[in-house]
Amino acid sequence: MKLKQDQFEQLYQTHYPKVMRLCMGYVKGDVDLAKDLAQEVFIKVWENLGSFRNESAVGTWIYRITVNTCLVQIRMKRSSQDTVAIDQLRAPEEVTDHDYEKHLKQLYACINKLDPTAKGIILLELEGLPQKEIAAVMGLSHEAVRVRIHRIKNKLTKCVQDDKL
Amino acid sequence: MINFEDLKSQWEKQPEAKAPENGTESIVVKINAMRKKQLITNIILVATLLVLIGFFFYVMAYRDQVVLWGLLTMMTALLVRIAIEIRSVRVLRRLNNGLDAKQFKVRMTRYYEQRKIIHVILTPLILIAYCWGFVRLLPAFKANLSSGFYTYILVSSIVLIVFFTVFIGYHLRKELQILKTLKET
Repeated sequence: MKLKQDQFEQLYQTHYPKVMRLCMGYVKGDVDLAKDLAQEVFIKVWENLGSFRNESAVGTWIYRITVNTCLVQIRMKRSSQDTVAIDQLRAPEEVTDHDYEKHLKQLYACINKLDPTAKGIILLELEGLPQKEIAAVMGLSHEAVRVRIHRIKNKLTKCVQDDKL
Repeated sequence: MINFEDLKSQWEKQPEAKAPENGTESIVVKINAMRKKQLITNIILVATLLVLIGFFFYVMAYRDQVVLWGLLTMMTALLVRIAIEIRSVRVLRRLNNGLDAKQFKVRMTRYYEQRKIIHVILTPLILIAYCWGFVRLLPAFKANLSSGFYTYILVSSIVLIVFFTVFIGYHLRKELQILKTLKET
């Protein structure tokens, strides 16, 4: 039990920021909803830790749980379609606050328009995951991911440029 | 002119969310609370069943065919519904969350398709059976209970049935929304 707790503590500290950011992408930057989702993710990590067989990297396994949890839970939690808690995000000092927030808000809004699979793929791409690993998380072939990323990138860039909020 | 690399750079500039202090402790507390809640639910279900069985023998239901079938129908309906719910909870808990998103979606869709059948076909049938059993018992209640208590049982049962119908309807709508999301992907 103590070993499991130590292992869990280490996983939690290492992966929480990544999980949180991925969850934020699923809920249009709503910090409170993202925190709830992240907690749900780590509850599942704890419950499934015993059955983790090292068939994939632990990071990939946690990303899988995050994507799966967000896919199901966002419909169950209160809708965040129109309420973006963007004011809770703080801009880095070197960037103009107003522009940064505006662009980030646009980015979140455009990500939110994508279908859940596309959302998962592009969020993992934004997190800098290699395409092979994205394929392993999403259960798609490497080639399919490559093609889809190309299309989603174009769609997302066009959406942000057109300022279609 | 914005390109994807600009978007990626904006994404990366977001402040890193720090893991909350005592975060793991609060997760363990939540898990224990969930287990406790499940235990309390199980105790309530078993207690309800024991009360029904006790009542069955207390009123010597086996002596009167109408009361016997009325009570047996209500008890069976309740038991079947409880068994279905326990099975659903177990299936969902055993679902491997570490599967890739494609496989997970297939299994979740299957799970919610089954839930749809439960809500749309089985639950109404169970509710009808339960009401039928209750209606069969009414003459016996009227003959053996005071007028005030009879009215109380009648009104409270109708209120309970309406409440459960609304409750089930609410959950059905929520689960159908999840199913819709899964199929949209």
